[in-house]
Amino acid sequence: MTALVQVENLGRAFDALWAVDNVSFSVERGELLGLIGPNGAGKSTLYNLLAGALTPTRGEIVFDGRRVTGWKSYQMARVGMARTFQIPKPYRRLSVVENVMLTAFQRHKSVRSARTFAEHILADVGLSDHATAPVTTLTVGLLKRLEVARALALEPKLVLFDEIMAGLTPTEVAAMTSFVSELPARGITVIWVEHVLHAIMRTATRVMVLSRGQLIANAAPKVVARDPAVIKAYFGEEMSLA
Amino acid sequence: MTRNPGFISLMPARGTLSVFEIALLVLCVVLVVAPIPQNLQDIIVLTFLWAGLATAWNIAGGYTGLISFGHAAFFGIGAYASTILLVRIGVTPWIGIWCGGLLAALFGAVLALICARLRGPFFILSTLAAAEVIRIAALNWPSLTGGPEGLAISPSADSTNMVFASKQAYLVLMLGYLVLSYGVTKLIDGSRFSYFLFATRDDEDAASAAGLNPLAIRTVALMLSAALSGIGGSLFAQYFLYLDPTSVISPEVSFQFALLPAVGGLGTAIGPVLGSFLITPMSELLRSYLGSKVAGLHLAIYSALLIVVVLYFPSGIAGALSRLSRRREGKP
Repeated sequence: MTALVQVENLGRAFDALWAVDNVSFSVERGELLGLIGPNGAGKSTLYNLLAGALTPTRGEIVFDGRRVTGWKSYQMARVGMARTFQIPKPYRRLSVVENVMLTAFQRHKSVRSARTFAEHILADVGLSDHATAPVTTLTVGLLKRLEVARALALEPKLVLFDEIMAGLTPTEVAAMTSFVSELPARGITVIWVEHVLHAIMRTATRVMVLSRGQLIANAAPKVVARDPAVIKAYFGEEMSLA
Repeated sequence: MTRNPGFISLMPARGTLSVFEIALLVLCVVLVVAPIPQNLQDIIVLTFLWAGLATAWNIAGGYTGLISFGHAAFFGIGAYASTILLVRIGVTPWIGIWCGGLLAALFGAVLALICARLRGPFFILSTLAAAEVIRIAALNWPSLTGGPEGLAISPSADSTNMVFASKQAYLVLMLGYLVLSYGVTKLIDGSRFSYFLFATRDDEDAASAAGLNPLAIRTVALMLSAALSGIGGSLFAQYFLYLDPTSVISPEVSFQFALLPAVGGLGTAIGPVLGSFLITPMSELLRSYLGSKVAGLHLAIYSALLIVVVLYFPSGIAGALSRLSRRREGKP
């Protein structure tokens, strides 16, 4: 079987700046791929390119055997690519379960079955108690879980998680880490951007490191952690704290 | 959210018919059949018409977040279409009103494809401009529209021409229109499509990531809203029997479209109806009692009342009512 995602020489320029520059990689089915890099490395731009929120300036994206370069967000969602937003984007005037139903509608056409499925997903991420609450009553941690629930309600082949742990308590981080690590076994391939590095290093099968728009490492977590280029990207050439 | 298990609930809730709505319908029927003085019947005709128009606007403005200050364009297109068909080629308005609705829907599609990419205030301004384009076109195409002199429909009563001697016939007509507009809204309410509208309104990026095409959804919503507004415009023409661009396709008409749902409660089915039932009689009565005594006083009082509503009932009358009923049921 071919790779789930195949990216070739992908690039996106904002004026003269290449936010993502000549990036190539592939993702196999069932992987849990960590994507890390310093702030401004181009992780969000890469996500937006994959999810169809931005059009690439150059390069090709193949997803699940289809050439999807230039496809729009809703088209990517329909072929099974789900995403979360770094800054949660709930439908503010709907309840928690209705927020999840909207994604569930892709595969569950009736309101009743979408609601049942959404309630199921909410139980999965531990939001059942809040199902009928207006989203405006949720804390940041719960909003992050809602983002995850909405993405999973698409029953995706691939999900892009964007910092779903920022603002979570240590207990919540532990719970979310084990939850995410079980997704590949359920047939959902994961790409995961996270600043809580230990979560990624413990669970990812492979880690890619972006720096200044370029892919500087792509290997097992232990190998990446010792890579001089990665250490340099995070801490600079020389540490002068004085 | 309060979701009642049965189909009939006490207060309006999504996807159910409430006791409140049935009572309101009974009241409307009573208003139609009761022996009421003609000048008051006049006000009731306008109240029904504007309730239907505001309900039409609400599908775009309230449910989909397409706040339009240009609905006079759809209204005008509907009014002119049926009237032109009647006076120029003798097509009965019983067919003409649907042509008016169709033409307005087509213009709605064009407007959606051009303007629905714009956000917030930019969309609002573009709808205002679109209505002006239609008004100016109507002014400058006298061979079709009669230009600034307008068009008149023969006032002799003739049911084929949808012209009636009794006000009661118009009451039935306008109530029928209100029921149509409201029925379409109730069909949407609580359906999958209603959630699509809400999602596009609340967050376009999230809606796209959920597999929805926001432009397509906006286009459908605006077309529906425009079609119903156009039908209302045709009926207005049949009631007044006279049309001219400046009074029909005016910003005042557009503002009225947006104002009634805002007062009644945006994005709720019942809101625009309550808005019209409160505002239309109020403004008509103020106009007739004060308009002749102190020039402009009725407008000052009208505006002051609007400010009070906006300040104290930000979610409209419907919002205030549903808060009240929740409190009585002991829910937060």
